[in-house]
Amino acid sequence: MGQDNIVEITGLTHDYGGVVALRALDLTVPPGVTGLVGANGAGKTTMLRLLLGLLHPTSGKMTVMGHDPETEPLAVRARLGYMPEGDCLPKDQTAADFVAYTAQLAGLPPSEARRRSSETLFLVGLEEERFRYLGDFSTGMQQRVKLAQAIVHDPDLVLLDEPASGLDPAGRSQMLHLVRRLGEFDINVIVSSHVLTDIEETCSWVVMLDAGDLLRSGPLQGFEQRGSVQVEVVANVAQLAERLARRGLQVTVEGLHLVVGPGDQKIEQAILEETAAAESGLVRMIRGSASLEDLFLQPGQEVTL
Amino acid sequence: MTDQVIYDRGYRTYDGERTGPSGARKAVYKDGIRRVLGLGRKAREKIYPWLMIAIALAMAAVVIGVHWFIGDLAQSLSEGVPSYGELFDLYSWIGLLFIAFAGPWLLIPDRTRGVLSVYFSRPLTVDGYLVAKVGAFATVVGAIYVIPQVVLHLGLGLISDDGFLTYMGDNLDVLWKVPVTTLAFVAMHGALALLLSAFINRPGIASAAFLGVLIPGRFIAAQISEASFAGARWTSLLAFDHLPRMVRDTLFRDTVTYPAEAVGFGAWTAAAVIAVSIVISAILVRSRYRRLA
Repeated sequence: MGQDNIVEITGLTHDYGGVVALRALDLTVPPGVTGLVGANGAGKTTMLRLLLGLLHPTSGKMTVMGHDPETEPLAVRARLGYMPEGDCLPKDQTAADFVAYTAQLAGLPPSEARRRSSETLFLVGLEEERFRYLGDFSTGMQQRVKLAQAIVHDPDLVLLDEPASGLDPAGRSQMLHLVRRLGEFDINVIVSSHVLTDIEETCSWVVMLDAGDLLRSGPLQGFEQRGSVQVEVVANVAQLAERLARRGLQVTVEGLHLVVGPGDQKIEQAILEETAAAESGLVRMIRGSASLEDLFLQPGQEVTL
Repeated sequence: MTDQVIYDRGYRTYDGERTGPSGARKAVYKDGIRRVLGLGRKAREKIYPWLMIAIALAMAAVVIGVHWFIGDLAQSLSEGVPSYGELFDLYSWIGLLFIAFAGPWLLIPDRTRGVLSVYFSRPLTVDGYLVAKVGAFATVVGAIYVIPQVVLHLGLGLISDDGFLTYMGDNLDVLWKVPVTTLAFVAMHGALALLLSAFINRPGIASAAFLGVLIPGRFIAAQISEASFAGARWTSLLAFDHLPRMVRDTLFRDTVTYPAEAVGFGAWTAAAVIAVSIVISAILVRSRYRRLA
């Protein structure tokens, strides 16, 4: 499908009987691995269920892989994989049987479903355990089976709802590695998480939601250029701070040190000009990279990505 | 010795056939049959269904044996050898106990274990899911009723003094009466079992509720129908377990009189109540699952 956006959303609003879960979102998601981040209750799961066509928007339009999930839900779901956050495994079936069954539910013939079930369980590291009953699996193994059922039918897009939820650090690391590998296999992924470091580790694009509003959407790579700049000068600190503040920059002063930003590369140029103008004597200037958390905790600041 | 190498096979794309919603429904149907029969499940989940099947087949074998060993005596004591219609009385208890297990087991685990969220992320509608589940239910439960009757019919034909073909020719009516009676039993009991299973989250409680509505329920309905208040007779139709038996009696010309018949209702009324029960059950179950999807 080339470079077409995998998701296009215009003016999307969804409310649950008066409680607004998503409010007038305009959003596009390109191919690749996209992180959907936000606190609990931000609207991430609602967004995923809307993409699947399991919920209908109160207003607005959306397309997923070129199809409207409201009017063509089966066409959308035939090409999607979904890993729910909560329990979704029958405890009395083997992993191989369950994953093969979900492949058949996606329309694969039984023999092919069984073959792909084995291959996919191998991919997620459960080749030895595939004939064990799911009720005997640990949480980490269950998460892997959930991932396997989401990708067994070779979907165009996989929706992962908190895939690392409930896992210990080692399990979390392994799950994030698997998500990264999906990107390497050219599978489009939208992964929701409230853990920002998970998104930083796995995604190339990020969508931030906050209480139903779109906070930011853009490539993760650009975020590194939007950290704050640490400056050390020899004199006239207050005058320099005042000059930078007049340019609309956020400035914190501590002794002869200033923290300016966050912001883009124009900050450095402004610092150089104002340091010279204030005759402050620049000792050093270091840009720190911004984490998603930094940006997420500054909802008032508009950042163009 | 050569070095051992583990190859990472990566991920293989799939460009083959995709059967779409019809394939999804077929998968649910096949899984439903496997679930009810305990196939692909732990051994303890196979015990109950296969015990019921074994009992039903054993009953057919016993009746054939009775005819074989004491055929002449049986003829002279023909009242004592169960007819096809009377055999439904025996089978209906096996069927009732089987349905009490099969209905809850078919619907409840998918719901309580959250598996529906995976199923409905596939090209599968709520209606498709329910139709496939009901199809699986009807196939297995129908077989519980019909297969022993087929075994009995063939067995009696084989031991008949008149010869197999003559016996078959003389009893052609069995070929439609048995399926129609089976349909009445499966429809009435199935509608009730699936309705309760759609709203109760514990299989054991759903099974108990099903048996409670049918067994004590018929005595209660019969008692109330004899009361003197206006419209009391209509409560006899709430003895749901009697309704398919009234259909059976009419088809096989048996002479048991049920409370509903005593107050003037016939087999057609019973059939109509069964049909209405199916419609109400279908509406409520569908509504429940549309909210869950």
